[in-house]
Parts: sequence; structure tokens; C-alpha cells
Amino acid sequence: MSSTSVYPTPINAFKQSKRSVLSVIVDNEPGILARIVGLFSGRGYNIEALNVTVVDVKKNLSRITIETLGEEKVISQIIAQLEKLVPVHSATNLANLSESYEAEICLVKIEFENEEQDQKILNFADIYRSRTVQKRQNFVVYEISGTSERINKFLDDLDTIGGIKVELVRSGPIGLGI
Amino acid sequence: MNNENEFTGADILLKALKDQEVDTIFGYPGGAVLPIYDAIFGQNFLKHVLVRQEAGAVHAAEGYARSSGKVGVLLVTSGPGVTNVVTGLTDALMDSIPIVCISGQVPSHLIGTDAFQECDTTGITRPCTKHNYLVKDVSKLSETIHEAFKIASSGRPGPVLIDIPKDIQFAKSKYISKKDISFREHRIKAGSKNVDKNFVKELVNHIKKSERPIFYVGGGCLNSGHQASQELIKLVNKTNIPITTTLHGLGCFPGEDKSSLGMLGMHGNYEANLAMNKCDLMINVGARFDDRVTGRLDAFSPDSIKFHIDIDQSSINKNVKVNFHTNTDITITLKEINAFIDSNNIDFGDKDYDNWWGQINEWRKKECLHYEQGDEVIKPQHAISRLYELTKQKDTFVTTEVGQHQMWAAQYYKFSKPNRWITSGGLGTMGFGMPAAVGAQMANPDSLVIDIAGEASFLMNIQEIATAVQYKLPIKIFILNNEYMGMVRQWQELLHGSRYSESYVDALPDFKKLAESFNAVGVRAKNISELDDTINEMISIDRPVIADIWVDKKENCFPMIPSGAAHHEMLLSKYDKENPENQEKGKVLV
Ligand SMILES: Cc1ncc(C[n+]2csc(CCOP(=O)(O)OP(=O)(O)O)c2C)c(N)n1
Ligand SMILES: [Mg+2]
Repeated sequence: MSSTSVYPTPINAFKQSKRSVLSVIVDNEPGILARIVGLFSGRGYNIEALNVTVVDVKKNLSRITIETLGEEKVISQIIAQLEKLVPVHSATNLANLSESYEAEICLVKIEFENEEQDQKILNFADIYRSRTVQKRQNFVVYEISGTSERINKFLDDLDTIGGIKVELVRSGPIGLGI
Repeated sequence: MNNENEFTGADILLKALKDQEVDTIFGYPGGAVLPIYDAIFGQNFLKHVLVRQEAGAVHAAEGYARSSGKVGVLLVTSGPGVTNVVTGLTDALMDSIPIVCISGQVPSHLIGTDAFQECDTTGITRPCTKHNYLVKDVSKLSETIHEAFKIASSGRPGPVLIDIPKDIQFAKSKYISKKDISFREHRIKAGSKNVDKNFVKELVNHIKKSERPIFYVGGGCLNSGHQASQELIKLVNKTNIPITTTLHGLGCFPGEDKSSLGMLGMHGNYEANLAMNKCDLMINVGARFDDRVTGRLDAFSPDSIKFHIDIDQSSINKNVKVNFHTNTDITITLKEINAFIDSNNIDFGDKDYDNWWGQINEWRKKECLHYEQGDEVIKPQHAISRLYELTKQKDTFVTTEVGQHQMWAAQYYKFSKPNRWITSGGLGTMGFGMPAAVGAQMANPDSLVIDIAGEASFLMNIQEIATAVQYKLPIKIFILNNEYMGMVRQWQELLHGSRYSESYVDALPDFKKLAESFNAVGVRAKNISELDDTINEMISIDRPVIADIWVDKKENCFPMIPSGAAHHEMLLSKYDKENPENQEKGKVLV
């Protein structure tokens, strides 16, 4: 039998923060990114990751993907606030769609010292189907993509190999609702 | 290459303003707007009102907009000109007031060089405007201005700023008129015009079922237009449901009507707050569950089904979760509710909510606004009551500053029409009322315009008395002079052990002499015997008047729900006989 805690654990005291990926279509105009970032910082929302690129040159549209943390109520408020911004066409929580796809790309440079490390790295790279961008005597550069979770796992696995040096860049998730 | 179809940016601006039927602009010149001032010179459709500080221009534009239902317009120079309007823009954003601010900017090629009077105007004003623009191409100017007016006045209204570099004011292009511009719907966000039939049906059903319903009406009703208030009156009369309004909702429903419970919230009426706390059906019409209204959220109206009509999606479920909502415009929705009731011959006559009204009338017996006027010192509540009695026959517009006097004005001055009450609610900007009165008088030259002021607030934008004098605007500044930042003093008394830290307003000017030095008129009432005569004299003078009303220095504004307390944890005045210990208890709240 497990012992009783000397203090009760307040179950509801921890707000139900959830990771959400928001997809926002905007007019590509000066200041739009500042508006969005300002909205998040001004109202105390989190930005975990952010990605912006023009997706329609003719119509001058950009798609912004924002990964954020918050209770459901907060996420709905973020969406409502985003949709109030003049250049915003739409803001969608991908989690609310019946079908959506998510990807992130990561470039990682791994420096190693010996054969054994090289083998282990190669092994993980193989499992995760990462593409070799460059390989030299003492380092290798991979490109790996997939959900952020998949990349996290790959990096966690790499972490189990002692003595290597890892440098990386991640795009942050991008997502598309179908 | 002199094409006669081409105009300078400055001329395009004026053409666009004319197209938008703007006839009044509040402004202050400077280097970066000189081409625009040159275009203003020698034309006659646009009246420019020269303020004495840009803050005055923005509050005047707000007062103009609030009192007329039109968009208020102002013109300021770059750098300090525009940083001076940041408070006013924020004020307009919080209180949903449609204004367009035109600012000059250093020439395009100098932007980013820390040029003289350069500042990042769009950067500074981004969080305090509904939208803003930096115009980089003169050919986009016409469209930008027309879109700015459309955005300022559509959906939930607000301030829009257009920053125009000086070279763009000189550069030439074609003018595109308003009718030739097709607005892109996603940018205007006008809100839905389609009635939510299900919402209407549910609401009427719930009204039929409920035993303790209440209307909770806010400034959105005002912004929806006069018709909204007429539809609201119809609906209240049909259903016999009690109605309470927020600070900004005052006037949407006649304050003296028997169905009116008056204002709710921190300094709201006892019966209004208790009715909100105990109701079983709450119908929110254009209010936003502000913390000054709800008090402690977890105790806010715990047993009610909540309906919310608000054009702003982000106001729904922001602070308080509601059961039903619609984003359709209030006028359209209320009209449909009335039509639905009529066409289905629904009669609420037998309902009448007798028990509910009985309970409310019990609460009313507390007479939470009761005060006792002695025969010497003027009670501030009495000063407002007398002001109301002596001006209610006239078409009167009241603006206020911020503090106790503002709350007493809200409590004791009764409004029967919308747009007559102009106050800074969301931001609580001291110094708002006087310039707002200038704007209201410009929009309503034949009406009586009174700024109910505190002596401390009045000092914040006192320079605008010169504007009133220059344009012969007979505004009345009615100062409840208590020689304190009264509201600060009250909080210090109730919550900080009467330690009156820096809330005494020392070295006050002689307001009578001050008025005279500005070529305005000063009048004064030192005690109760002088009050009525002073008010009557003030009203009778067809010039700007400063009325210095000496009131009880230590009077507090009650009822009061300390911030963080719940609606039923209200502090009542010392005149409340049933509960003399209320004040003592109150100190532990918050
Ligand atoms: C610009 C600004 N600064 C500070 C405050 C905080 N504040 C709220 S009421 C008040 C005192 C107002 O004094 P007065 O105008 O004399 O009005 P009274 O309360 O005495 O009627 C102050 C300092 C404010 N609302 N606005
Ligand atoms: Mg005072």
C-alpha cells in the first residue's frame, strides 16, 4: 500500500495547458508579424514556435504557423484575438479539424570522436530515416523531418550516446488542415 | 508632366476627408505636417480646431465621436506630436470609440536614421489602435484613408492611425473616391448581419421560463446606434424585465424609468448588483464582463443562464462563460427578438415577475444612494443632483474626468438618451473630460455641454480652456473641488489605514481668477446657500465657464465593491443604518 501524502495534491490547481498548433492566413504586409507577436506578448500568451512564409504570391498571402501552450479557453481567446487583426483572413486550431498534417524540419550537425559513436549515430539516423546532408571524418549533418514529437525523440535518442557534440536548428512545426 | 488628374498627397487627404463627410478636425501643426496644413489653408469645407496640446485633440475627437455617432478626426505632427496622443488612442481602443488619427512622419528616405522628430509611430501605436498604417506610396493613400474610416466605424469601433511621411504629402497621384473602392471583407470585420434565429428562439423561451431575469446593457448598445436603444426600450416594456447598465450603457435606457436599476459594478447600485448576483437569467447586451462590473469572478452571478449579444467575438467567453451568444449586431438582434415576440403573440403580461420585483423593491428600500445634505458644506452628491435638476429640461451632454466626481455623476445624473454621457471608462483617463467637452460642443453647437470635473483631473488638460475660448465654445467646467484626489484618498482611507500618501492637492490655483486669465468666466459656490444660484448663473452665461464648487473634502463614494470582492460583499455608506459596521468589515476584503 502506498503511503498517504502529508499534503493533499491539488489536482485542479494545475491548469490544463495543452499544446496547440494554430494556422493563420494573413495579408503579407509590413508589420503583420509584429502585430501577431505583439498580441501574444501583450496579452501574456506563449509562443513556443513560429513559422511565416508567403504561400500565395498572386494574392499576397502568407501562412503563419504558431505553436502555443494554453488552456482550451485561452486558445479560443487567442483565435478570437487573432481574427480581430485587420490583415488576418482566418485563424484555425489544427486540433479542432478532423484531419490535419504536421511537419517540422531539423538540421543537425553531430561531431563524434570514435567509430563506436559513429555506428550508433548511423543506427539512429537509419531508424528515423534522416537524410545525410554531409559526412566528414569527424562529423555528420542530417536532415530529419516529421512531427515535432518525432524530432524530439530522435534528439533524445542521440542524447543517450555519450561524448558527441550536437548543434541543431529547427523550423518549428508547420501544419495543414485538410 | 503636369497631369491635372493628379493631386499631392496633402490634397488627396483633404479630398478623402471631404468624401467621408468630415467637417471638423482637431489638430496641432508641426514640421512633418506642414504640407497638410498648407492644404487646409484657404479651403472652407473643413473646420480645423487648434487645440493646445495633442492630448486635447485626441480626447476632443473622442468627445466629438461619442456625442455625434460620427468618426472623430485629428491631425498631429511626427515625434512628440504623435507620442502625445498615445493615451487618447488607448482610451478610444478601450472604450470602442471610432476615431481616425492622421500623423505626419519624417520623409521616407530619413525613416530609420533617428531623424529630427522621428519616432516609430506605427510601432508605438500598434497595440493601442484597432489598426494603423505607414503610407509608403502616394498611389495607395486614397484607398488607405477610406479603409481607415471604414475600419474605425465598423464592427466594434476603435481608433485607426495613418502615418504619412512628408514626401508622400508632396508626391502626386490620382485620387480614388470612396465609391470607387471595393473593401475587402476580411479586413473590415463588420460582424454578422444575419440574425441568429436559434439564439432568438432560445432567448425568448428562457425569458418565458425564467423567474428572475435581468438585462445587463453596455456600451455596445450605444455603438449599435440610436435604434438599438429604441428596440431595447420596446423589449423591456414588453417583458417587464429589470435592466441595469454599465458605466457606458447609461442613457441607452431612460435612467428614471421604473424598470431601470441604474448602474451596476464597483460603484453601482445595491439593487443592481444584488439582482445580478441572484438572477436566474442574464441577458447581456453589448457589455464585456469587465472586472469593475463582475467583481470576484467565481462569485459572479452563480445561478444564471447567460445570453450574450456582442459584435466582438473576442468578448464572448473571455472573462465569463456564457450559455448562448450571438455576434450579430445588437440592433438587428433586438429587432428580431421583438418581431419574434410579436409575430408569435407571446404575451408576458401574466408573467410580470412579481416575486422578483418584490425582492428588488426590498433591495431598493436600502436607498443606497441616500446622503444627508447639511446646511453648510455642499455634499458632492447634492451638487450633482442639483445640477441634474437644473439642467434636465435642456438637451445636455455631460463629459467627466476620472475619480469620485465621475462616479457621483454616473449615480446622480440621469440620462434618458444615448450619446449624452461621455466618460473614460476602460482606461480611466484623468484629463479626458475637458477636451471631450470641446469635441462634444463642436458636434452639438446648440446644446449645453458640461464637464463634471475634479480639481486634480482638470489640471491635467487645463490648457484646452484656451481652445474653448478661441472657438467660442460655451462649455461648462463643473468642478467638485475637494482639494483631494478624492478617489485615491478614499482607497487610502478604506484600504491603506488612512495614510493619505500624496493624495492631497496642494497649491491649487484660484479657479475663478484662472478662468478670467483665459478670458473665460469663473463662478464659485462655497456653501449650500450659493449652490443653485451658481449653477443657474453658469448655465445662463453663453461663454466657457469654470464653476468652482467647494464640496465636502472627506466624502466617500458608495456603494463600493472593493476590487476582488463579490457583488454581495458591497460596502454601503455611513448613512446605511442597518449595517453600520460595513466599513469595518470592508477593510479585510480585497
Ligand atoms: C492619468 C491618470 N493618472 C492617475 C490616475 C489615478 N487616479 C484615479 S482617480 C484619481 C484622483 C482624481 O482626483 P480628482 O480629479 O480631484 O477627482 P476626485 O476623485 O477628487 O473627484 C487618480 C489620481 C488616473 N485615473 N489617470
Ligand atoms: Mg478632487
